[in-house]
Amino acid sequence: MTAFDVVLVLLAVCLPLLYPAMAVAAGYEKAMRYALPLLPLPALMLALGTAPGWQLELPWLLNGGLWGMDELRRLFLLLTAILWTLAGVFAVGYLKAHHLQRFCVFWGLTLAGNLGLTVAVDIASFYSFFALMTFAGYGLVVHEGTAEANRAGRVYLAMAVVGEMAILAGLLLASAAADSQMLPDLPAAIAEAPQRDLMIGLLIAGFGVKAGLPLLHFWLPLAHPVAPTPASAVLSGAMIKAGLLGWLVTLPFGETSLPMWGALMVVAGAVASLGAAALGVCQQRPKTVLAYSSISQMGLMVLMMGAALANSDVAQPLIAGMALFALHHGLAKGSLFLSTAVAIPLAPGGRWLMWVLIALPGLSLAGLPFTSGAASKLVMKELLEPDNLEFAMAAYLPMLISAGGIATMLLVWRFLWVQRANASYGGNSAMIWLGWGMATVSSLGVFWLLPQPGGLPPTPGLDAMVNQSWGLLWPALAATLLASVVLAARSIKQR
Amino acid sequence: MTLWLMAGLLFTPLAWAVLTLLTDFSRGRLVSWVGILVQALVSLGLWLAVNRDGGFYYGLGGWDAPLGIELRVDGLAVTFVLLTAVVAGACGLHAGVYIDPDKPWHRYFWPLFWFLWSGLNAVWLGGDLFNLYVGLELISLSAVGLVALGGQAGALRASLRYLLAALLGSLAYLLGVALMYGQFGTLSIAGVATWLSDHPVPAGSGMALALMIAGLALKTALFPLHRWLPPAHGIAKSPVSALLSALVVKASFYIAARLWLELGQPLGSLAAAQLIGLLGSAAVVWGSWLACRQQRLKQVVAYSSVAQIGYLFLLFPLTFSVSETVSLQAQQGMTLQVISHALAKAAMFLAAGNLILSVGSNRIDALGGVSRFLPFSLFSFGLAGVSLMSLPPTGGFAAKWLLLQASLGSGQWWWVLVLLAGGLLSAAYVFRIYRASFLESSGTDQFFHPSRSLEVIPMILAILALGMGLVSDQVLSVMALPFAGEGAP
Amino acid sequence: MTLNAWLPVFALMTSLVASLVIFALPERGYRLRTAVNLGAAVFKLALVAVMVWGVFQGVEYGVSFTMVPGVDFVLKADALSMMFAGLSAVLWFLTTIYAVGYLEDSPNRSRFFGFFSLCVASTMGIALAGNLFTFFLFYEMLTLATYPLVVHRGTERALKAGRTYVIYTLTGGAVLLLAIAWLQGLAGDLHFQEGGHFGGADPAMHGSLTLIFVLLIAGLGVKAAIFPLHGWLPQAMVAPAPVSALLHAVAVVKAGAFGIVRVVYDIYGIEASSALGLLEPLAWLAAFTMLYGSVRALFQMDLKRRLAFSTVSQVSYIILGICLFGPVGATGGLVHLLHQGIMKITLFFCAGNYAETLGIHRIDEMDGAGRRMPGTSLAFTLGAFGMIGAPPLAGFITKWTMGTGALAADMDWVIAVLVLSSVLNAAYFLPILHRLWFREQSGKWPHERYWGRLETSAWLFWPPVLTAVMTVLVGVLASFPFSPLSWAELVVLRAYSS
Repeated sequence: MTAFDVVLVLLAVCLPLLYPAMAVAAGYEKAMRYALPLLPLPALMLALGTAPGWQLELPWLLNGGLWGMDELRRLFLLLTAILWTLAGVFAVGYLKAHHLQRFCVFWGLTLAGNLGLTVAVDIASFYSFFALMTFAGYGLVVHEGTAEANRAGRVYLAMAVVGEMAILAGLLLASAAADSQMLPDLPAAIAEAPQRDLMIGLLIAGFGVKAGLPLLHFWLPLAHPVAPTPASAVLSGAMIKAGLLGWLVTLPFGETSLPMWGALMVVAGAVASLGAAALGVCQQRPKTVLAYSSISQMGLMVLMMGAALANSDVAQPLIAGMALFALHHGLAKGSLFLSTAVAIPLAPGGRWLMWVLIALPGLSLAGLPFTSGAASKLVMKELLEPDNLEFAMAAYLPMLISAGGIATMLLVWRFLWVQRANASYGGNSAMIWLGWGMATVSSLGVFWLLPQPGGLPPTPGLDAMVNQSWGLLWPALAATLLASVVLAARSIKQR
Repeated sequence: MTLWLMAGLLFTPLAWAVLTLLTDFSRGRLVSWVGILVQALVSLGLWLAVNRDGGFYYGLGGWDAPLGIELRVDGLAVTFVLLTAVVAGACGLHAGVYIDPDKPWHRYFWPLFWFLWSGLNAVWLGGDLFNLYVGLELISLSAVGLVALGGQAGALRASLRYLLAALLGSLAYLLGVALMYGQFGTLSIAGVATWLSDHPVPAGSGMALALMIAGLALKTALFPLHRWLPPAHGIAKSPVSALLSALVVKASFYIAARLWLELGQPLGSLAAAQLIGLLGSAAVVWGSWLACRQQRLKQVVAYSSVAQIGYLFLLFPLTFSVSETVSLQAQQGMTLQVISHALAKAAMFLAAGNLILSVGSNRIDALGGVSRFLPFSLFSFGLAGVSLMSLPPTGGFAAKWLLLQASLGSGQWWWVLVLLAGGLLSAAYVFRIYRASFLESSGTDQFFHPSRSLEVIPMILAILALGMGLVSDQVLSVMALPFAGEGAP
Repeated sequence: MTLNAWLPVFALMTSLVASLVIFALPERGYRLRTAVNLGAAVFKLALVAVMVWGVFQGVEYGVSFTMVPGVDFVLKADALSMMFAGLSAVLWFLTTIYAVGYLEDSPNRSRFFGFFSLCVASTMGIALAGNLFTFFLFYEMLTLATYPLVVHRGTERALKAGRTYVIYTLTGGAVLLLAIAWLQGLAGDLHFQEGGHFGGADPAMHGSLTLIFVLLIAGLGVKAAIFPLHGWLPQAMVAPAPVSALLHAVAVVKAGAFGIVRVVYDIYGIEASSALGLLEPLAWLAAFTMLYGSVRALFQMDLKRRLAFSTVSQVSYIILGICLFGPVGATGGLVHLLHQGIMKITLFFCAGNYAETLGIHRIDEMDGAGRRMPGTSLAFTLGAFGMIGAPPLAGFITKWTMGTGALAADMDWVIAVLVLSSVLNAAYFLPILHRLWFREQSGKWPHERYWGRLETSAWLFWPPVLTAVMTVLVGVLASFPFSPLSWAELVVLRAYSS
């Protein structure tokens, strides 16, 4: 690592960490507002500009610090940095003057936590950044100060504390078993430890609170709608992925096959992806629908995780697949969230274009051909081929994936439906346009430009998409059909 | 040299007494200041001499026992002589400022003071039973006179009561002395001890010892014979109370202790030792309890004396039929207790006098807010209180520590409970006074500031009591000095 | 005697002399008194720093003389005593600054600062005591020196609290005295010695030793506020804020905890304590106290009372830590001695600031105070998160180390206790933080005062900010040489290697 890289690493984490210091003196409100999009830029440079594999030792930090970036972390870092940048741009235009400084302070801290946990390799700093993100995130959730926001905040905080404690206990046990303070030593040690199941359970539950695992998800549909829109975008796009990252770096993937846990996670994933859809389509507010959609999408990732837990030999590609899926979902969901606060132009042409652009990331989620969603879905399908896997739930996976596809599409339709009813009309400030526009573009484009993590089947090209277009399309079509029938039935009933 | 010191110690106080008898209070004060200085120097000189050469028997006027007056000058005695010089000197200096010279009857203060002092020295150094009796009478009578100086009807009543108790005690003691003389044909304690070590113990000889100790216990105000003490000590002038509590009661105890240590083993019994210890314990508990109930400041301090005297009597069980080490620990503890209680109680009475002078009332609840205006006297009072509570690093603590060790070492663990409970109970009454002084609610701002010299004296005494714990090893080492005349007639 | 022998004495005398000088100063001598106070605090800080460096290099500091026949008065500086001495020197300095500001224009300042210094002198003595007897001496002196501080306000409530305090502590002292005297009779004068004295104790003595241990813990447990001996602590909250800060963070509760550390490590020895089966019950008691204190804290609406119950809970961390047989757990317990001090003093400083600046005493009056007093509130937030054990703050280092130690000692249940206690901590601290930052101010402040540029008087502002910064630094830089964690590891290394 060159000295420049070291500075860049430190800057990437410390810039957002120290940025709140600007709030100490009054009079910097404006500067703080415009600095929001700049905060994640060093991290973005880090993700794009340095080759994975570097490590930075900080021996004086906590119990001995070690930061680094491998391919997995790079993907998450990229997602985090991009999403926070775009949301930051959006926030510049979106935020009102009321308690602006306070919002900026928590924004910076949450960002610092989110970026830091992505590069942390030692347990203590990983957990520190994770906690920082969790607790500072509370400030974003309750920012509006309404009774509803406070209630959501309370649930968020209560669950977050429980989650943190489960993580603490799990990490403690694992660290003691590994006799090490470094994350990479944990999976092997957990796999061998006599208290394996306890540790795995604690870690799954602890990070599951963030990742919206069923029964640990209650805060999600409450917190997302009440938070300011840019905050919802990063909450759903980046922060719940931190839970996923937590799983990926601590659980014993590839060390030993755990069919029982695998089956359990597949069940949890299925419940999440389908149950969240069932609840989501009943919601009236666009952001709540999107929140359930996030739970549902995380459910799909949990499916993959279950398969990876159960089959040590295919764990590595599955992990890469999950990361890819996370990236795709994070960007698309970020764009969707931002779109909820964009006013629709009054001109008819603009209006139509706008609706198309709003719908596109949603359709990408649903796996429409030639979108990032289609690509990640194809990868997922290939990886979850029952022939590759050996555990009880293997046979059900394709069916679950298809059902998940239907659920996704249904939620997208529902979102568009309620968004139409809730959307405001008129002009937007330039920064809102810019933020939302960039988010939509990156959700559609960035995925294709990225270097692929190793161990994956090759990214399906155009021909693959064409070949498999029916497989991709039918769940979406089925969902559309279902939605139309329901709509028609309702309109008949009303008449 | 020694001759001069001994003469200075015993006879010059008498000379000062006569001299001051002839003048009024103010001139007596001048004389006394010179006298106090001389006495202090002489005491210090004797202490240094003994420290250098060891103790000795001294036949006064060249006549030896059994005919003459035999003085036993050992480390313990000279320590008490020095203690007397310090405490009595401090009380004298304090009284010179404190006592109102315009009241005509106050001119008798100085003669009584000096008679008291010479009596005390006589008791510390006395080697035979009759001399001790004479010293004791001198002390008692002058003490009664000093109490009566209060002048009011209450003071007279208290002093009469005191007189009655003192006379009764003396009578019992004298009876014991007579019995003892009849039995052993000698008045020297050492002589009796020698006789007993050579002969079998005659039947009924314990009776004499019991009578003497009972008489002395009455003079020392051991529970349940303590009723005369609180009124007398409470109503006397503060410097007088200080003298009485610090020194006078110790004199009779000193005699009792010496009798017990020399003759207790052959003449006493386990039951008697335990009984005395039990009475001492009762005094600790009952005295402290009553101290907690008092409404007037000096009454609290007086009842505290009753309690503290109780500790002293634990010497009896702790030195009876126990190992050498335990006995030594008990004796050392008791010596420290006497010294530190003398210093602390004198400091406390003098400081209490200042406080009363300052707030104009002797009620405890009048002390509200006084901590704002009189921190110095209150501080002295507090420091002395620390010693009474026997908290470290005071002499009281060192004493308690040694007594604890002795109790545990001899297996008589029940005294441990008494010692600990006594400490807590004394904390209860001391803190009651702190508490009153910290109360800010009362609106009185009319405090009189006593002169600096009045405030400094109790402070010095209190600091001495405090520091006693730190140097207790050195103090006690004087006791262990070689005694040249050991075994001499 | 060389200078080395006298350094501990100097350290002790610094505050003792300061105390006497302050008593002698007239009430109006404000500047001179402040100068004496701060000068002594700085001087002591320097002395302690010299000793810390010396002890690190392996220098022996010590002086001893026979006080009562058979017992010595011993002052000495070892690694463990430097922990406590360092803590009290640093926090004394800050608390002095704070107290100067806090007591501005209030009566009886001479008295206050005199006893305050005396209190610190006692703490120093406790830290530097070389045997149980000397320890006891200063332990009791501390009781006496703090009483006037507790009752300083002179109100009925204060006096009542003072009475409770004295009853508890003096009774504890009596029990402790009994235990020490008994132990002395059994085994002679016991100097504090790494590894303890009873490594190969005669089995016949086991009964007595166990009983003495129980008495020792009961005596020390009063100050350490172990359940059920904690009753005095919440009541003592009527004292002025600097006193509460000092009582809770440094002086009194830590004296008890430190005494227990001494007894377990340097008198009995960790092996012997464990062999006698004394550690496990103590660990359970400490664990119960941790949870009990937290549960009680949940139901307090008075800010300082909540903090007080939090202290009850937190001090038991230290005790639990030393009961974990093994170097790592011990490190966790010891390091909390310092960490808890720094964090808790921050919280009390802040509570004092709210009371003094805005007149806020109750938690439900705190709505929106973060906007009015951002610096103080930030310090409070950091302190509170530290208490919860949120990384990377001081409390996390403690919990992590203790957790690791508990696993190494095969006492897995401790993890559950740690977790539960953290959850409870969060439950009573986070609502306060919510009120501070996210509620709108409701009505006027009960009693607001202004100090120009800063949100409160500079004397009051900087101490909590500094301790909050320390809370962060001792956590983030835990692996730095001379950090509390590194020093605790040094102590434990020396204790276990002997």
